[in-house]
Amino acid sequence: MKKKPTRIPNTIQETASWIQDQLGASPDIILRAYSAEGAGAERVVLVYIDSLVDNDTVNSKIVRPIQELSEEAFERFDERGLYALMKDRILGVGSIAEIDTFDHVIQSLLEGNTIILVDGYQTALAAQTAGGDERGVEEPTSQTVIRGPKEGFTENIKTNMSLLRRRIKSPKLRFVQQKIGEVTQTSVVIVYLDGIANQKIVKEITRRLSTIDTDSILESGYIEEFIQDRTYTPFPTLQNSERPDGIAAGILEGQIAIIVDGTPFVLLAPVTFNRFFQSSEDYYQRFDIASFLRLIRYGSFLASMLLPSLYIAITTFHQEMIPTTLLISLAAQREGTPFPAIVEAFIMEITFEVLREAGVRMPRAIGSAISIVGALVLGQAAVQAGLVSAAMVIVVSFTAIANFVIPSMNMAAASRLIRFGLMILGGTFGLFGIMSGLMFMLIHMAGLRSFGIPYLLPVSPLSINNLKDVFIRAPWWRMSKRPTLVSEPEAETRQGKSQKPEPPNTDPAHEGDRG
Amino acid sequence: MIPRGSEGMEKISHYQLASGIILFQIGSSSLFLLASNAKQDAWIATSIAMIAGFCLLLFVTLPIQKMEPGKNLVQILQTYMGKYAGAIIAAAYILYFSYKSIRNVREFGDLMIVYLLPNTPLSVILLILVFLSGYAVYQGLEVFFRITEFLLPIVVFIYAALILTLLSSGIVHFERLEPLLEHGIKPVFDAAIPEVISFPFGEMVVLLMFWSHYNNKPNMSRVTLASYLFSGVFIIFTNMIILASLSATSFLIAIPFMMGTSFIQIAGIIERMDPFVAILLFTGVFIKQTTYFLAAVLACSELFKMKRRKALIPIGALIFIGCLLFRSHMEQVWTGFKYNVVFHFPIFQIWIPAALVLVMLLKKYFKRARI
Repeated sequence: MKKKPTRIPNTIQETASWIQDQLGASPDIILRAYSAEGAGAERVVLVYIDSLVDNDTVNSKIVRPIQELSEEAFERFDERGLYALMKDRILGVGSIAEIDTFDHVIQSLLEGNTIILVDGYQTALAAQTAGGDERGVEEPTSQTVIRGPKEGFTENIKTNMSLLRRRIKSPKLRFVQQKIGEVTQTSVVIVYLDGIANQKIVKEITRRLSTIDTDSILESGYIEEFIQDRTYTPFPTLQNSERPDGIAAGILEGQIAIIVDGTPFVLLAPVTFNRFFQSSEDYYQRFDIASFLRLIRYGSFLASMLLPSLYIAITTFHQEMIPTTLLISLAAQREGTPFPAIVEAFIMEITFEVLREAGVRMPRAIGSAISIVGALVLGQAAVQAGLVSAAMVIVVSFTAIANFVIPSMNMAAASRLIRFGLMILGGTFGLFGIMSGLMFMLIHMAGLRSFGIPYLLPVSPLSINNLKDVFIRAPWWRMSKRPTLVSEPEAETRQGKSQKPEPPNTDPAHEGDRG
Repeated sequence: MIPRGSEGMEKISHYQLASGIILFQIGSSSLFLLASNAKQDAWIATSIAMIAGFCLLLFVTLPIQKMEPGKNLVQILQTYMGKYAGAIIAAAYILYFSYKSIRNVREFGDLMIVYLLPNTPLSVILLILVFLSGYAVYQGLEVFFRITEFLLPIVVFIYAALILTLLSSGIVHFERLEPLLEHGIKPVFDAAIPEVISFPFGEMVVLLMFWSHYNNKPNMSRVTLASYLFSGVFIIFTNMIILASLSATSFLIAIPFMMGTSFIQIAGIIERMDPFVAILLFTGVFIKQTTYFLAAVLACSELFKMKRRKALIPIGALIFIGCLLFRSHMEQVWTGFKYNVVFHFPIFQIWIPAALVLVMLLKKYFKRARI
């Protein structure tokens, strides 16, 4: 439903009244007319929205130069001359666009530009003056690291772009902007490295973004749901991050970042399953501890999914698998509890989820109260009252803690949801149920794709070169290949070979001895 | 979209083909004692069967595919056996594949009831199994082979861990394999042929449905034969382990490997390893039943020119109902050994492929002669 663009009319009165008409009588719309002294007729009009512009810039770079314009200038130049004078001499702003339709005028006003209209001339000038109050670059709250940069993305897309540009100083870094959202007109920028990102995936992402037809985009989550490969899956097929270094690393491996104005969470696509277990800190620490932590994370993921269901299955169906002494103490604990294991587990798991949600929503000041209530009332008292067994409390709390180990929140959420399904399976079919559930999950994941890339990529289909950064993190000089399929085939080699550091052959301590 | 093969033809890589063959061949057979009639020489009988199966593969099954690299079994049958005869044989193969899948599903269901879930209705377990396989088939050939690729390292790791603990727990006594050939070679041969050829070594015929999807045709024989040999040697080895830990009486036990591992006790900590055997059993049988299910569905969709996902429903229903037709576990084991292994299966595994190879060679010969 594209209307034919209407051109700006000749007279500024007409334009000015049209603009006021379109935007309503908001107090923050400033219209300022200039005329030659005494002559009466207005020759130049400035329009801007007070709440969107940086007032300093407008005042010192636009308003003042126009005011200081001499009387003769106003009289001597015709509209063409005046326009050129404005554009080339007067306006002290770097980025000036020439626009000639009403739609563009409105849009550019809403982006925080200042519009300069010259009477009798059908083209307007839009000077970039966007500003206003914004949060500065701070430490990201969601993905904290001990070693590594502490900068985080902000809500401002310009800042975010500059954070990336500063990290990758390559002429091949490409930013492609789109406006999405009929009403919100949100800027969405695709970032990739030309020649390294797979061109087909770039095209596919651009295509999917351009097919979005909605009124509003307020957060990158909107975009994620519109462009992901499959909706009905617990597994995320796009990654998000608040950390510029993490996003830059992804871009350097051929991934494509999607920055959405108004949110510090930047999307990365395509992703594979293993990426959700990588933290940017892995690459800043020594490789041995990083590899160890990787394994811990995969283990925690499995534990947070499986532990309650295994406990249920084994205590309900397969008691013979528990070593005898443990079995006796378990039986003694469970003797007093009124519920079957699965009900008990469900009560405790749901309680924990409630606690967790309460912890997020609660005002910070009361936050610590929650942990006391949680630990004392639910842990201690519930066991003493004989409602749940102590072993169950251990299982549930370890599950909960294991869940926090997963670096990516959306993958942690997946394991939280799957856990409940597996608990039901374990409670009804025992180990067989759990195995079936896991097999179902595996089939599902093997069929999953993220922008055409198989979800389990370096493992299946197997790519031996890329296994160096999956379960372990090999030393940097060993990881010489970028992920296959994700990056452009010709650009798979990332760095030179055989860069293993070695001490010099000559021992500096005895250098002098040799003579 | 991107890495799929050209024109929607699903492709599998050589890792995938190899892992598919290995998991399919090993299946559950390494958990059981094959050729138990040969007593302590069962492993020799298994070796003989493996070599025979190797020859079958080398001289019959592989040449069929090599002469028509781009076609699957149904297409080859229809090209060389004539439209109607080919269609009838192909239909018979659909039934054969489905039947093989039925046997695996049913056997697994029964074992689950015996070992893990004594109070659960059999039909529910069977339904879950058929549903799981059906889901894998629904996702397609590529996804199925990706699953095998993912599972192979896990399976190998568990086997290695179990065998290591078995060896170090001191219950494996290789002197139980003696005396070698107590009653001469004859009973060993009798045990091997045709029983062990049919199961598991002759089952490679099902690959005629999958080979045409392999993306590197020149390597096909090498990858296939290597994976076959690997799984064959592996089965013989586990057979020896079973014999050496439980002696020749282990044919009395439903899952001897599980029995063997249940004796493991090391330092009072490492014991009760049977859940791991249950995992092996689960993956092995699952892969096997799904392979046959997939083969039946592919054959069905090829023969009746229908969409794969549509062919899934009748075949799935056939398998589920077929599973329920056996009255008991014993009945199915008994029919298995009395009829199928001796009469039915050799037809599909040996005689039809052999005939097909002859026909193909003759046609080729005459074509050349005419020119």
